[in-house]
Amino acid sequence: MASFFLEQAWLIPLLPILAALIITFVGHKLPQGGASLLIAAIVGSLAMSVGAFGQVVQGGEPFQRSWEWLSTGSHTIDMGFLVDNLSSFMALLVSLLVLLIVIYSWGYMGEEGKGRRRYYAEVGLFAGGMLGTVLADNFLLMFLFWEIMGLCSYLLIGYWFRRPSAAAASLKAFLVTRVGDVMLLVGIVILFVHFGTFDYREIFEAVKDPAAQDTMPLLFAALMIFGGAVGKSAQFPLHAWLPDAMEGPTTVSALIHAATMVKAGVFLVARSFPVFVHTPDVFTVVAVIGGFTAFYAATMALVMYDIKRVLAYSTLSQLGYMFLGLGAGGLILVKTGSPIGYVAALFHLMNHAFFKAGLFLGAGSVGHAFHHAANPYDFRQMGGLHRKMPVTSWVMLICSVSIAGIPPLAGFWSKDEILAAANTAGGSEPILMVLWGLAVLTAFMTAFYMFRMWFSTFAGEPRSEMAEHAHESPKVMLWPISILAFFALFSGLFFFVPFGGFGGFEPYMAHDLESYTPGFIEVHAFHASEFLVHLFTSPLTWLSIAVAAAGVALAWAMYVKGSVSPERMKTRFSALHNGATRRWYLNDLTVGTGRFVGVVGGALSALIDRYVIDGIVNGLARGTTWAGGHMRTWQTGVVTTYAATVIVSVSIVLILLQYVFPFLGW
Amino acid sequence: MIDVPTYAFVGVSAILFAIGLFGVITNTNGIRLLISIELILNGANLNFVAFSAHHADPAGLVYTLFSIAIAAAEAAVGLAIFINLFRYKQTVNVTSVKTMRW
Repeated sequence: MASFFLEQAWLIPLLPILAALIITFVGHKLPQGGASLLIAAIVGSLAMSVGAFGQVVQGGEPFQRSWEWLSTGSHTIDMGFLVDNLSSFMALLVSLLVLLIVIYSWGYMGEEGKGRRRYYAEVGLFAGGMLGTVLADNFLLMFLFWEIMGLCSYLLIGYWFRRPSAAAASLKAFLVTRVGDVMLLVGIVILFVHFGTFDYREIFEAVKDPAAQDTMPLLFAALMIFGGAVGKSAQFPLHAWLPDAMEGPTTVSALIHAATMVKAGVFLVARSFPVFVHTPDVFTVVAVIGGFTAFYAATMALVMYDIKRVLAYSTLSQLGYMFLGLGAGGLILVKTGSPIGYVAALFHLMNHAFFKAGLFLGAGSVGHAFHHAANPYDFRQMGGLHRKMPVTSWVMLICSVSIAGIPPLAGFWSKDEILAAANTAGGSEPILMVLWGLAVLTAFMTAFYMFRMWFSTFAGEPRSEMAEHAHESPKVMLWPISILAFFALFSGLFFFVPFGGFGGFEPYMAHDLESYTPGFIEVHAFHASEFLVHLFTSPLTWLSIAVAAAGVALAWAMYVKGSVSPERMKTRFSALHNGATRRWYLNDLTVGTGRFVGVVGGALSALIDRYVIDGIVNGLARGTTWAGGHMRTWQTGVVTTYAATVIVSVSIVLILLQYVFPFLGW
Repeated sequence: MIDVPTYAFVGVSAILFAIGLFGVITNTNGIRLLISIELILNGANLNFVAFSAHHADPAGLVYTLFSIAIAAAEAAVGLAIFINLFRYKQTVNVTSVKTMRW
């Protein structure tokens, strides 16, 4: 019997949306611009998510409940929600993060005054959109919530819309993700045309028909759905919007552009796995895009001086890891039936959400202390903050160690799993071996740029007046980041938690694939000791630890000890440094193309407008005037002329009718 | 009673119509124009009556009565216009009123 928490899971996305509506209208009368109400709503969502998770974790079939939404003659479209292992896990993760970040906002946005109402309403709507996306039971409803998220992302990036750079960034984010959204819609419609339904489970069932498998339409639909994920998760080549999105408040960057919304793409691919396994070529594309983005974004993170930009590129890079994990995992799944890559990617999704939210909120705390600076996040003006802001510093350190992949912190476990999956898949697909090499390099760069950032900000001596007098942030901001740091320390160990009847994270996550694509997958019982022995006897694990340690060591040598001069490195590799600083000219290319199209197209259409359109309009007017000028002289005003004209005309018509037309035989 | 053939009536009516038409086109004196129009109407009326008799169909007679009534009204209105015109311009020549043009 399904419990209350499963039956009423629709409340999870609805509560924040209702709160957002109330805040929109009466937020200015509520304490803190509505923050308290939103926190209450999110606590409700979190409680419901915990309840649903508690039910799901006991095992059993996925729970689905739906209502009729549209009826269009031959088709009925339902709306409803699907609570399975993936969606309940995502809902739990998202509501927890939203709660922590909204509490943090209480302090961070405290001085925003009236604008807070708008902020909290948009965050509430966003939370509802994200929770709806993960809980929807069909592609169409998911797409609806997906678009709500896109809208909120646009609104929140442009929160300080009076600043031109923020307005431009929000527009860019909206337009670039739109490319992906259109692709996603195309993919969904192709699936609908082929299977006559939007419902996940019905599609997963229908796609088992051998006639539907490995066809061009299915491959195309899968690629298009992945295209939507590329747009939302800011993967190459639709990545340009995410670094610019740092124009929004840091809480927004933490919530939307690190912890939740950008994960929706990963979620979408994971959700579509039962479709993708029937057209495995798409996994190679997923892996290549992910692996390349991981590497490409990391190179740019190396040279940024802005904490938030470093974190933004790092987010791109880590999302690339997740897609690499999913792509490699799909190939492994099809070949051997093992879910390791799929599980690794989702595991990394969770760990990354914790440590990246912690890093962003830590950066927000630093920025809070520097809010008088021209750029509060430029770490060239910082240094020595470890003594001034101990809590922030420790949180950032823990999260940095975690993302660098040093055991036993969270990032290590999942990143190592992804590397292992890429390596395993590389056994049969040579391209995956290349991607594995890139991913190992990326791990080195990740460790380096995170510690470059941390050492420059917190270690050494203060490099500016402001850094001398920096103060720690208020407690309402420190508590949430401390909790995130706790998770960044220990969430890796969730891998070993015997979830209910599943015995571990891997069997828990793989259970969905067992339900939807039986026969494809073989889940083995999970034994922690075997796993650990296997992990720590594998040379790959030691390689990944070694590159992470090397990255940290290099950062230490360059930015603390000073034995390797960053300036000399910069001049030695000036071409590479300039390239990375200019985002490998890709941003210049897109902006330049846009500007070129705008300027040349504008000039062309101005010419066409002036000479063709205006020419036609003015020509018509001039012709009419000219004709009128001549024809009006026929109006003599003399009655007899008119009479004569009438008589002659009537005579001509009569002659024509009587003689000419019969003669011609008309 | 002398049996006058129908074509004689039609011929007279055509001659009347042609004289009227000629008058309308060539005259500029308003009174003459009115008289010419009356001639045209009478030519048409005669034609109606002739064919009505020829076909033994009273419809033509009825139309003629209407036509005469309308002609009377037209003549009254026309004369009134020319009387007013004469008061302003001391002439009934229609070429003297050319204000209704370009």
